[in-house]
Amino acid sequence: MIQVENLNKTFKTYKRGTGLAGAIKGIFKREIIEKHAVKNMNFTIQDGEMVGYIGANGAGKSTTIKMMSGILVPTSGKCEINGVIPYLNRKENAKQIGVVFGQRTQLWWDLPLVESFGILKEIYEVSDKDYKVRYEFMNDLLGLKDFISSPVRTLSLGQRMRADLAASLIHNPKILYLDEPTIGLDIMVKASMLKGIRDINNEFKTTVILTTHDLQDIEELCKRIIIIDQGEKIYDGSIKEIKNTYGYMKNISVDLASLDGAGGLDLNTVLQKNTTDLQVEICGASLSVSYNKNKIQSGDILSAIIKHTPILDVTIKETAIEEIVKNIYSGKTGLGKQL
Amino acid sequence: MKIQRFFKIYSIFTSQYLKRIMEYRFDFITGLIGFFFIQIIGILFIQVVFEQIPDINGWSYYEILFIYGFAQIPRGLDHLLTDNLWFLSFNIVVKGEFDRYLLRPINPLFQLLSEVFQPDAFGELIVGIVLLSISIVKLNISFSILNIFLLIISIIAGTVIYASIKLIFASLSFWFKDSRSVMHMVYSVSDFAKYPVTIYGKVVQFIICYIIPFGFTAFFPAAYFVNKLPVLFAIGGTVMMSLIFACLSYWIWLQGINKYESAGS
Repeated sequence: MIQVENLNKTFKTYKRGTGLAGAIKGIFKREIIEKHAVKNMNFTIQDGEMVGYIGANGAGKSTTIKMMSGILVPTSGKCEINGVIPYLNRKENAKQIGVVFGQRTQLWWDLPLVESFGILKEIYEVSDKDYKVRYEFMNDLLGLKDFISSPVRTLSLGQRMRADLAASLIHNPKILYLDEPTIGLDIMVKASMLKGIRDINNEFKTTVILTTHDLQDIEELCKRIIIIDQGEKIYDGSIKEIKNTYGYMKNISVDLASLDGAGGLDLNTVLQKNTTDLQVEICGASLSVSYNKNKIQSGDILSAIIKHTPILDVTIKETAIEEIVKNIYSGKTGLGKQL
Repeated sequence: MKIQRFFKIYSIFTSQYLKRIMEYRFDFITGLIGFFFIQIIGILFIQVVFEQIPDINGWSYYEILFIYGFAQIPRGLDHLLTDNLWFLSFNIVVKGEFDRYLLRPINPLFQLLSEVFQPDAFGELIVGIVLLSISIVKLNISFSILNIFLLIISIIAGTVIYASIKLIFASLSFWFKDSRSVMHMVYSVSDFAKYPVTIYGKVVQFIICYIIPFGFTAFFPAAYFVNKLPVLFAIGGTVMMSLIFACLSYWIWLQGINKYESAGS
């Protein structure tokens, strides 16, 4: 069980002036800036759970993971992983966790993958028998055979991520932290990664905490999600609820030839929809329209705009996490009150 | 950690490193030759000085050669085993690569040190052993079993002092991100220890005895073997300094780890 209570992490940085003059001034007089990366975080995660830890870039996801894995010492608060305080007992903690950082490999750059696995086997004191079983399982799951004897530096990003995932599981950890495991992967590789993670959870009852800034990634994977923003938890609950509220919200961004033509266009009136189903924002010479895809069709929106003013370009996207965070803050759903 | 496991893991890491540097053979060979040349120039310098003056402050040519040779051995051993501390000081911490040491169930310092095994150090070790052998013969030093034992002890203690001083200043990178220049400055102080400390002024003597005690990595223990200092101060002091600095440096290292901030990802 993972228990996080009133966990805080503050980084101190020094404000520095720009240019050479600023740098020289900085030597003598430095202004300390405190950055609260994680603020009063509270959550409990049960054994075998799969939790999505979601937030925009810089929201404090990695900082939380790093405190839970013993890399960072919390500024204050409690963090206990199966009764072990990570930064006080790093060795014990390391035995029970597996960590994958999407941005950085834990493998040996110049070594063939199979040799990296061999080293990890020794480090974690895995018996030959266990190693064989797990290796076979991982190979079936993640298809490592094709590149098992290539040096890690020659692997593609997708291969490297699969290799890193397999490497983090050699000692069969009870808890697996995945920090942005799908970042930069194409759709096919992403899907196979996610399937692999689900199978591991099923097979070994591994607790999985997965961070991402992309809600789509974990829709099928995690029942529960925790959303954080600027270090603070703003939602902790089922993904279903979030999906019901926002899953059918889409966004069309329309570049206009000139904004003048859009003046006097009130889409809510034209399409006869209230602001829950349709919101319009103007930024520069483009319109950003968020709409409920179950009630409104994109064609209707576009034709309504086109009648008024010429369109240069159109982008349609699913609701981004930033959008959801914004909506939670503005209290449109009442979800924020669950805290 | 059991001693067998200790050696097993160490040999795994070390052989990985050697495999890697063999891939970049040119770099390896030039490094080795480079360090060898630095040593030769150092010896030529002593020779030039002694062609002019027969003895310095009561030290004969071969006595100084003995100290000089002795100095190379702890320095070389430290160079062989703890070279990764340099990378800690300017690279590993600032780039956030220290993460991985904290994620594995093995002592982080042990992991860090065992990852690099620096064969460049053989330049120093070979020169040290050759000079020591020549001067032992020329000075007619007789080595009892006790003295051989004391020689080994003082070499080990000297190596520990080198490693501890490096560890202290490399650990500063946990606070300042890059501590290479200060570490380099401090390491250069060790050049003073290759010669009798009595030829320096009081300030320098005090610094290399008690502040940055490189004097104990060469001059003090070596002076015992050429009958210039009593055993208690020369060898006893060396061992004591190595213990004090080992504890101090490890404590600073532990404080540093807790200050580690990783790097944004």
